[in-house]
Amino acid sequence: MDKIINLKLRGISLVICLLLLPALCFAKEINFEATVDRNKVSLGSSLQLALAFQGTQDIPTPQLPALDGFQARYLGPSTMMSIVNGKVSASVTHIFTLLPTKIGKFNLGPFKFEHNADTYISNPVSVEVVEGQAQNAPQPNNSTEPETKNLSDRIFVTLEVKKTQAYLNEVIPLTIKLYVRQLGVRDIQYPELGREGFSFGSYDKPNQYTEVRNGLNFDVIEFKGSVAALRTGELKLGPAQIKCNLLVRKQGRQKSPFGSDSAFDMDVFDDFFARFETYPLDLKSPELNLNILPLPEENKPADFSGALGDFNLEVNAAPLEVKVGDPVTLKMTVSGQGNFSSVNVPKLQSEKGFKVYDAQIKQEGSQKRIEQIIMPMNADIRQVPEVSLSFFDVNSGQYKTITRGPFPITILRPEKEEEQRIVEARHTETTPAKEEKLGRDIIYIKENCGRLSRKGDYLYKQWVFLSFQVIALLLYLISVVVHRRKERLKTDIRYARSISAPGRARNGLRQAKIYLNQQNTQKFYDTIFSTLQEYLGNRFHLSSQGITTSVIDEYLNREAVPQEVLTKLRDIFRDCDMARYAAAQLNRQDMQAALKKLEEVIDYFQRKKNA
Amino acid sequence: MRKISILKLAIWLFMPALILLVRGSVLAAIEARPQEQLFYQGNLAYKESKYDLAIEDYEKLIRSGWENGNLYYNLGNSYFKKGELGKAVLNYGRAKQFIPDDSDLKSNYAYCLSLLNLDTQQKFGNKFSQIAERIFLTVTINQLTLLLSALYFLLLLGLTVMIWLPGSGRFTKPVILLLLAALICGAQALYGKITYSLKGGVVIVKEAQVKFEPLASATTYFNISEGSRVEVMEQNENWYKVKRFDGKFGWLNKESLELINQARDGSQHKAKLSPL
Repeated sequence: MDKIINLKLRGISLVICLLLLPALCFAKEINFEATVDRNKVSLGSSLQLALAFQGTQDIPTPQLPALDGFQARYLGPSTMMSIVNGKVSASVTHIFTLLPTKIGKFNLGPFKFEHNADTYISNPVSVEVVEGQAQNAPQPNNSTEPETKNLSDRIFVTLEVKKTQAYLNEVIPLTIKLYVRQLGVRDIQYPELGREGFSFGSYDKPNQYTEVRNGLNFDVIEFKGSVAALRTGELKLGPAQIKCNLLVRKQGRQKSPFGSDSAFDMDVFDDFFARFETYPLDLKSPELNLNILPLPEENKPADFSGALGDFNLEVNAAPLEVKVGDPVTLKMTVSGQGNFSSVNVPKLQSEKGFKVYDAQIKQEGSQKRIEQIIMPMNADIRQVPEVSLSFFDVNSGQYKTITRGPFPITILRPEKEEEQRIVEARHTETTPAKEEKLGRDIIYIKENCGRLSRKGDYLYKQWVFLSFQVIALLLYLISVVVHRRKERLKTDIRYARSISAPGRARNGLRQAKIYLNQQNTQKFYDTIFSTLQEYLGNRFHLSSQGITTSVIDEYLNREAVPQEVLTKLRDIFRDCDMARYAAAQLNRQDMQAALKKLEEVIDYFQRKKNA
Repeated sequence: MRKISILKLAIWLFMPALILLVRGSVLAAIEARPQEQLFYQGNLAYKESKYDLAIEDYEKLIRSGWENGNLYYNLGNSYFKKGELGKAVLNYGRAKQFIPDDSDLKSNYAYCLSLLNLDTQQKFGNKFSQIAERIFLTVTINQLTLLLSALYFLLLLGLTVMIWLPGSGRFTKPVILLLLAALICGAQALYGKITYSLKGGVVIVKEAQVKFEPLASATTYFNISEGSRVEVMEQNENWYKVKRFDGKFGWLNKESLELINQARDGSQHKAKLSPL
């Protein structure tokens, strides 16, 4: 018993000790240490910086200062607790990924971190960023390519426009290029363009090719689009901003314990086990300054409606032989270079004599197709008037007007009736047909008498008709009763036997009478016996074969059957027994008496049942 | 003893009733033959514009205990020509009980009501009874009775089949429900028609006053115009208690109203007001 108590006390002490562990940890001195997983790294690879706090786990994520030559990204904390020889130690390590952005030797730290009014200062670490593979022997530089010292020399975005001076609303083509050299990049998004004061269309499908820039080979992804200035003056376009993920090689395993000569340090294994991680990059191009000029007011044509570019106009009118009121279609095609959204429908110089409908306009690439229906309204018209398009040619800085037509047309005079119809249709108002006023009166009497019927002689009052309904209901009720009886006969054997008992008894008595007339004593008494057995069995739901005098005495006494009936039953059984062994002693009178007794017994039980 | 099947029992029970029914109709048709003469006499008088004579002949035929749709239609026409539009409406209403789908009758009835500025759409009873009556609008009382009887027989047959063939419930139950719905709807319509036949009345004077009490000195509740239909709720010696289509009721002098079912033998004996 004492042992159990001791064990319990020890257990409780242990739990208390464990609960106090964090407190013990806090009581200790906290060490702050900075380490890197490797001191030499190639441009395009990453390294891990670990800021470890020994002696506590209650340190939040420290904020790293801006590191020259690196971009930092926090990966997460790693906590550890160990008990060695009863000595408890706890630590937390905050891990950052550093991505070198240029080559050179860098000192990271010492890092300073303040928490709970305490200041922690780490040791500095030095990292060397080299070109190419850091862990391999420097490879002979066979190419004449100059070295790139920064990450931004290997991946960057440019924004170019065809011209830096343009007119208001003029379409300015632009190109955004993403340059990448010896880096893995994926998840490249479409550029976002800072374009305040400009309207922008959409990018074409990007192109990918290789370009030599400053003597270096770059993979280029090119996006083409266009902008149009919405206001005049000095405007800034850009920056173009592209978001993508940089694939950064990460060291996947510890250095081999067998030294650098080990086969496990072979490149093939490095490549095989090396892991890549994605590092999000947000690349921005420099901004561009554009000078936007207003359109000159000098020599501006009267029908100028803002079209800018260098356009051509083709016009086709058909048919050129029509009747008054028939449509003539003007098919106009504006092609060329420029801002097509500023091109409106070319104007007819005169609409006199024509009814002009709204045009249908379709833009197809560098073409604008316009269909306009005009309708000559009189036969004196000889030509479709000229169609003109005025635009500002941004290349020459001048307004231009293209004129097509006139198109000679023949207007056929309509037939006289048709002419009248047209005139009537235009000038006369339709008057509703005068409503015909129909007379109204009652409809004439019935000539035929039809079948007369007795007054108030309705079917529902006729007892014969009503009796039909009652008969139908009675028949239905009878069928219900019959059905229920049938069902009971099927399922209730006692009831079925009880119902069939009198019928079977009648048959037995009939048969017995026949044997009596034939003086067949043996068969007579056999029939009497079997009839009585069967009747009593069915009547009282007993086994017919097992009905004997003793059964009768036992069962019928309980049923309160009068002694007289019981005596008759016993007599019948006694006579039947006698007939089996000494049939000669029984004469016709005895047989008649037995038959009568049986009839009386059955009659008694039937009456009792009905009562 | 020979067993009698339910089918044989049905035949034995139905046959005498059927014979009696047919015999009654045949005898009625034979008896009516001599009476038809009055109808043709009335027609002749009408053609000669002797409308009083025509009315006399038609009513004589009615008083002798015979009626049909054509007779009431012609009587209505005669009253119309005589200018007694209320009585014309009354007799067209009576004719509707026999020939409800007759286009001539519909036209004359509507025209007559339009002359009296009366609405043909005045409906009595609740929504259900109105719908039921609309469904069976074009059938007479006897036709509807026969239809209901047939539905009733089919319903009993369906119930019998369902009892004797327990597996048939899947098919018979929906049929039974449909039959039951039709039977209820038809019964409501029949009740409406019989009620109209027994309790319906038409105002036959130019304008009548419906009073709060069955007294000549009582306050007038509302006026009711010639040709208006009312439902008679009860009566005493000189007054009918009548209900308008909008549910308002009061007492109306007997001289102002004639019942659809009223005996037209000169003596206005008590109308039977119970529907069945």
